[in-house]
Amino acid sequence: MQLRRALGLLPLALLLLAWELAVQAKVYPPVLLPAPGKVLLVFVEDWQTVLDNAAASVARVIVGIGLSFAVAVPLGLMIGRYRWLDLLTDWSIQIFRSVPPISLIPLAILFLGIGDKPSIALIFLSGLWPLLINTIFGVRGIERTLIKVARAARAGELLVMKDIILPASLPAIFTGLRLAVGAGWLTVVTAEMIAVKSGLGYMILNAQLTFRSDLIIAGIIVIGAIGLVADQLVRRIRAHVCRWQEGLTAAQE
Amino acid sequence: MNRFIECVGVGKIYPGKTENVEALRGIDLVCDAGEFVCLLGRSGCGKSTLLQMMAGLERPTSGQIAVAGRELDGPSPDAAVVFQDHGLFPWMTVQKNVEFNMKARGAKAAERAKVARHFLDMTSLTGFADRYPHELSGGMRQRVGIARALTTEPKALLMDEPFGALDAQTRGRLQDELLQIWEKQRTTVLFVTHSIDEALLLADRILVFSPRPGRIAADIRVDLPRPRASQSAGFSALARELRGLVGADRDID
Repeated sequence: MQLRRALGLLPLALLLLAWELAVQAKVYPPVLLPAPGKVLLVFVEDWQTVLDNAAASVARVIVGIGLSFAVAVPLGLMIGRYRWLDLLTDWSIQIFRSVPPISLIPLAILFLGIGDKPSIALIFLSGLWPLLINTIFGVRGIERTLIKVARAARAGELLVMKDIILPASLPAIFTGLRLAVGAGWLTVVTAEMIAVKSGLGYMILNAQLTFRSDLIIAGIIVIGAIGLVADQLVRRIRAHVCRWQEGLTAAQE
Repeated sequence: MNRFIECVGVGKIYPGKTENVEALRGIDLVCDAGEFVCLLGRSGCGKSTLLQMMAGLERPTSGQIAVAGRELDGPSPDAAVVFQDHGLFPWMTVQKNVEFNMKARGAKAAERAKVARHFLDMTSLTGFADRYPHELSGGMRQRVGIARALTTEPKALLMDEPFGALDAQTRGRLQDELLQIWEKQRTTVLFVTHSIDEALLLADRILVFSPRPGRIAADIRVDLPRPRASQSAGFSALARELRGLVGADRDID
């Protein structure tokens, strides 16, 4: 674990070093490339701004991905289970998932105005497809014998869904959730640059207009850090919920 | 003796791309209540297919199957299946796995726990209730499968090469245990195997299958007293006869 941390942090430390060296060597004027120390100062002096905007972004992603989860998981379980639903939806899913959510920003603004609604709608869409596709994939991967066991026991459809299809699909659903959270986080920052007047995306765009490159870099660091934390969080939850999988699959790392 | 399972003119044809495959043809068989019947044959002779059809998991292409006097239309409430690859749900503890068939019938949690405990004791699994299947040995997993099948007090146990994947020692132990359970519960047992010795150790009657298309080539009564020893003269004589009927080669031990 210690080795993992040390190795994980090494590239970041090298990047920091390169940054500091570039500042020392005056590759760019300080107004464009502030020293690491100056950026650190942002977290002391402007912490309220950073925190408020980060909270706004995180809240949007939670709501948006929460909605995608609530829609995609039940829908995916059913599409995976019922062949006719698969035939009905397959082409549509393949078409709509190829559309980058960002390209829908203009439409979202036209229909939903400026504010939380268009950005949440876009996050919802960016999380929907990975979750849906992975859930379907999870249902398809169920061992056939297990379905036979349920049929032989004359289990009702609801019990089959709840006790067999859902738990069997959970590992795949969590893979989908990781991708969805990543996609949602990318989308929120972009959406905030255009469609909203708060959040980290808005903050860094605004910082550009006021020549606060320290605030821009601080914002980028926060975006990356939250992305890492969110990913680790989903991983932990997955490891806990799917602990029955231990020993069944090859070690993940 | 009353007829418990009855097959009349049962055939099964699997449609193929170029030509249809006839797995079974003209199977007539009557199995009395309480009988221990082994279906013996090489792999690919249709014996497992017949068991799956008697379990209501597959439909015959022709002919009829009746269980407990009712023509089969899907899995019968009077029969329980033990699967070759044990068919345990990896996300459920041993306890939950054993409770599943009862849960499918809507039994209350307290009742399920009580009955599960009884059959866990009977299958020497006391103390393993909270383990997950991957923490158990192959023999123990199959015991869980048997315990699960017994919980609904079925009149017939349909066993599809249940000990096929086990080492010889474990196999022998489970065969003994199965006979003890059978003597206690007096269920009808249909047991698919490709092992002549296993069939002779267990069965009252052995149905020998021949392949392409699968048919019953011989119906042999085994009157040897139990417990049976493979060294006894009667045993060896029958084994020789069966070897001739099966057309034994290295496939059959």
